[in-house]
Amino acid sequence: MRKFCIVLKYELKEYFSSKGFLAVTVLLALAALVLPFLPRLVDLSGFTGVKIVGGDSGQERKDRDLFLYLDEAGTVRESVLRELFPEAEWQAAAQRQELIDGVESKKAKAGFVITGETEYEYFVYNKSMSDTNSYRFDEVMRTLYRENYSKARGWSLKEIQGMYNVPITVSEQVLNKDTGENFWYCYLLVIIVFMLIVMYGQMIAVSVTNEKSNRAIEVLVTSTSSNSLLFGKVAAGALGGLFQAGTILGAALISYQINRKAWGGRLDMFLHVPAEVLVTFAVFGLGGYLFYAFLYGAMGALVSKTEDVSKSAGGLLMVVMAVYFFSLFQLENVDGPVIRVLSFLPVSSYSTMFARIAMGTVSAWEVVLSFLILVLSILGAGALGAGIYRMGTLRYGNPIKLSTALRELRREKR
Amino acid sequence: MLLEIRDIHKSFGGNKVLHGVSFQVESGRALGLLGRNGAGKTTTIRILMDVFRADSGELLLDGKRFVPGEYRIGYLPEERGLYPKRKVMDQMIFLASLRGMDRRSARIGAEKWLKRLGVEEYADRKLETLSKGNQQKVQLAATLVHEPQIVILDEPFSGLDPVNAQVLKDVINGLIAEERIVIFSSHQMSYVEEFCDHIVIIDKGRVVLAGELNKIKREYGRDRLVLAAQDMAPARLKERAERELAGLASVSGVQKDFLILELAANAERSQVLERLGRSDIPVELFGSFCPSLNDIFVEKVGV
Repeated sequence: MRKFCIVLKYELKEYFSSKGFLAVTVLLALAALVLPFLPRLVDLSGFTGVKIVGGDSGQERKDRDLFLYLDEAGTVRESVLRELFPEAEWQAAAQRQELIDGVESKKAKAGFVITGETEYEYFVYNKSMSDTNSYRFDEVMRTLYRENYSKARGWSLKEIQGMYNVPITVSEQVLNKDTGENFWYCYLLVIIVFMLIVMYGQMIAVSVTNEKSNRAIEVLVTSTSSNSLLFGKVAAGALGGLFQAGTILGAALISYQINRKAWGGRLDMFLHVPAEVLVTFAVFGLGGYLFYAFLYGAMGALVSKTEDVSKSAGGLLMVVMAVYFFSLFQLENVDGPVIRVLSFLPVSSYSTMFARIAMGTVSAWEVVLSFLILVLSILGAGALGAGIYRMGTLRYGNPIKLSTALRELRREKR
Repeated sequence: MLLEIRDIHKSFGGNKVLHGVSFQVESGRALGLLGRNGAGKTTTIRILMDVFRADSGELLLDGKRFVPGEYRIGYLPEERGLYPKRKVMDQMIFLASLRGMDRRSARIGAEKWLKRLGVEEYADRKLETLSKGNQQKVQLAATLVHEPQIVILDEPFSGLDPVNAQVLKDVINGLIAEERIVIFSSHQMSYVEEFCDHIVIIDKGRVVLAGELNKIKREYGRDRLVLAAQDMAPARLKERAERELAGLASVSGVQKDFLILELAANAERSQVLERLGRSDIPVELFGSFCPSLNDIFVEKVGV
């Protein structure tokens, strides 16, 4: 245990003294911390539906886009324009040329010449891909037409609209989980675990191979057991990954919580994660990560050159990728038979059981059983990894095939 | 302390690499472990270090089962290697800690050995920034940082210039004087002759020669003589010697400045001397042949 701790400490120091590791962590955590404050600094009301907090109304008015209109048909009422273009400043033009000049000089964002009850011309200097002004102005024209039509026949437009848009009251009672609400953060968390496994798994494999290629392994295996070396290395990778992902995710969650009102709750689907889901994610995610980390360590021990690591760990990456895509595709059917089976397999339970807990129906015994299988598999992967590590570390030259390594391990046990 | 390796056998995947290797070494002595490449030296050392387990045989220390983890062992592998991108002091403390020292003692030990080997100024430098010779000295310091009772040095002189080699010689002599067990493996026979009282030559996984070096040398030189003549080239001398000494000795080797003669069965060296006296060979040198370790090694394991 003492030697495991020494290896863990030494390996952790490697992570925390790496400028790249710290820079990435700090920069991403800062970004995660600062970005949720955006709606307080910049007007994102178009997305959030919430006006900038503490904004100056005079300044706000000044910053409004100016739209010009020329009412040749005599049908326009500014109240309708303001209602359907609440963020715009409207100004009537005396002549068509004045309107065109205003748009050309970019004084006005756009201009509308109303030539009939159901006809108008739209003037814009550069039309952007996201320009929806003409669609919105169609609605202005329809509203004006409906009002004029009803008025001419003595109808009450309000009554007609009331009849068409009668409000329906619904009282929704979700008795278990709201899949729609939980879907996106599950999606996000599955991606995070996947990235952690691939990134840190690869780092662990490369670190093991590096020790072989620089021959440090010769001194190491004669100084302590291969179990201490591999377990220490994997635990350091796990803590490093946990620290990095935890800091970034934590910064994003806390910062969003502070600014949730300013966002109008628009990012709840990603960042308003219930505590029990986060705990499940941490427990199963860490378990899956450790399981793969040991296997990545073993794959690193099979080769002597770092350029061969991708070849050696390629099969493992395929499994991780397959699980990742399967998990994402099955998120819409979390109670289906495929995901139920996957949630008990150690290669996939880290994401599928977590998704079932967050979005589906799962009994306590299933969670406990899946977790037990995962824990036993981690220990198995650790023992297997350490065995391959011990067997492979002092063999240089051509990469050792996994099947050869397993055969030799079996022979050694006998 | 007496370390005994008894009848060690080892195979890798059906390929037998050690066939009953046995030898022993005691405190205050250096043992030269010799053999051609692939003879089984490194496998023997790795079994001693508990990296591999022997298929059969036993390791004993003072008659009891030897468990490497219970002793301080310093191993300098032939394939040198530490972490190139980490600081010298950090990795020395790390290795000393793994070998059972607390952090403070590890630092003191590291400082002591870096200073003794003249590389203390590089303690806070990354290993890869040091010259090959200095990296070699750091590696040796890392081997000795925990004051091992048993020291195994595999090719310790490779890559060292004469000045650094002298520093290392002093260190090894110091280790022997401090009553430690030193196992020394090298292809540079002059160094082995310099330090080792006993040698073991392994060939194809078998011990082909073992014992006290002086005795072995005497044994190998017992029936051999050296002969040199004034103003006579060895080739010419060989021709004359074969004719004059027929029946008493034969020429078994021609060196640059002398011949090596092999005494015939029942012949005495006095008879050879007498025969030479009667001949007109202008004898310049006549005496017992003392073979070098290199001669013995080549004779035992050469093709």
